[in-house]
Amino acid sequence: MVNRPERTHTLRLAIAWAVLSVIGVVVAMQVNMPPGDQSQQSVDESSLLRLMLILSTPVFIGVVLFVLYSAFAFRQAPGALEDGPPRLGNARMQWAWVIATAVIVFLLAGIGINGLSNSVAATSFTSSSSLGSSTDEVGSSAGNRLQVQVIAQQWYFTYRYPGYGGAESTHLVIPVNANVELHVTSTDIIHSFWAYQLGVKADANPGVDNITYVTTRKTGFFTVRCAELCGIWHGNMVDTQGEVVSQSDFAAWASALQSSQSDLKLPPYAPEYFPSPRVKGT
Amino acid sequence: MRTTTGPRFAYRLAVVVVAVAVLSALVALFIGRFIETFPYTMSSEAASQPRVATAGSGQTETVIHVEVVGAVGAAIENPRPNDPHPTWVGYLPTTTYKVPANSVVTMVIDQEDTPSGLRNPYWSKAQGIIGGTFHMSYFDDQGNPQEGDFSKIDDAATAAHTFAIPDLGVFVPLEGLNTAAPAGSFNVITFSFQVGKAGVYHWQCFVPCGSGTIYGNGGPMQTLGYMGGFLVVQ
Repeated sequence: MVNRPERTHTLRLAIAWAVLSVIGVVVAMQVNMPPGDQSQQSVDESSLLRLMLILSTPVFIGVVLFVLYSAFAFRQAPGALEDGPPRLGNARMQWAWVIATAVIVFLLAGIGINGLSNSVAATSFTSSSSLGSSTDEVGSSAGNRLQVQVIAQQWYFTYRYPGYGGAESTHLVIPVNANVELHVTSTDIIHSFWAYQLGVKADANPGVDNITYVTTRKTGFFTVRCAELCGIWHGNMVDTQGEVVSQSDFAAWASALQSSQSDLKLPPYAPEYFPSPRVKGT
Repeated sequence: MRTTTGPRFAYRLAVVVVAVAVLSALVALFIGRFIETFPYTMSSEAASQPRVATAGSGQTETVIHVEVVGAVGAAIENPRPNDPHPTWVGYLPTTTYKVPANSVVTMVIDQEDTPSGLRNPYWSKAQGIIGGTFHMSYFDDQGNPQEGDFSKIDDAATAAHTFAIPDLGVFVPLEGLNTAAPAGSFNVITFSFQVGKAGVYHWQCFVPCGSGTIYGNGGPMQTLGYMGGFLVVQ
């Protein structure tokens, strides 16, 4: 049986928690979460981060409020040397926090997994024969995705377009409203390709063709950086001139790139370029 | 009960003081060593014979003259026999260059090293340089001197090094010295590029030329003062 003082404490805490939580959630809803809205993946990530913030705000406020309230309301009298009486068992309370925690965790897990699978499902159940140049609208449908290879090397990323004769570029340029299939590899050591505003990050390992997907939504520049400590110039392995452009601009850019490299002897396009020999010289 | 007096406390205090002193000395030693070995800054010089027409544009053209060698201890022009790694490849005399902002920079590179090969042949074509070409004097397979203007080197495997400033979009392959070339000779590669606003830009070599290291990317590729440095634009 809850006695009167305890009920007063509970009521006070509940009212304070409810008021502060409403305020906290309203504030949380105003926050623009990264990475933005340049791709479907970044929209999904931003939404999920915002939802996590909204759900965790009442939990955070509840914990902090209870700690602070306890510090003042249940403060031990000066000089007292004994603890209060032990409280054993409270099945209702235990069920409540286990269920509430489980619901929050499983809800977020479900939403996260759904977001990830949607990102891949948009493109993964189709033939990879179409590499981008076969139609005017590049990557505009699931069966017509643009394939781009990301090649990491100490200390720069370059990009090959197998649909455009395997032409290579120092900047990642991709069309808007397109499904893009990124094949990430490395010619030396482990790097990590991170296109921040696109919400894409993938390990770049030598001898590995690591595939990830992005569906572009808005034109504009984005930043690519290496997210794996890779040596002395790791901090400079950044390119701020990645760009999502219109479909027509992309077509013009890609064909210009291809023709500008007619005299360049690049190796045949391959899923990976494993370095050899492993130790150079003596 | 803890106390702040007595021999035990004095002993602990002494241990802490000595440990802090030793650590501070090590940190100071590390910082001092880093400052001492940091490549000195070399300013570019006014171009006596400008390569690029800058008249009327308000721009100046300055020149950076460097030497690329297979072993910094045995260079022709600026040898460093007392270098801690005399057998490492390197750019000499230093790897930090200062140039004026909004100017044209002309690099004159005396390339003494033999071919090592690009891992990514994409870098065999020059990018980001004025006119799209570099001038090169070199030696053919018979050891005869040749020269001309080029936009690329024909075979990525004959590259010895590259000079690249990624943030400025500058990537230039440096042809390796033909083994038929006379002893003591070197290729001379000359090119110009535009620099804009002030800032510190890193430059590096894209040939994994660190012999004896995994994938060739260790040693001189990972140490300041050999195969990478800074372009300080002021």
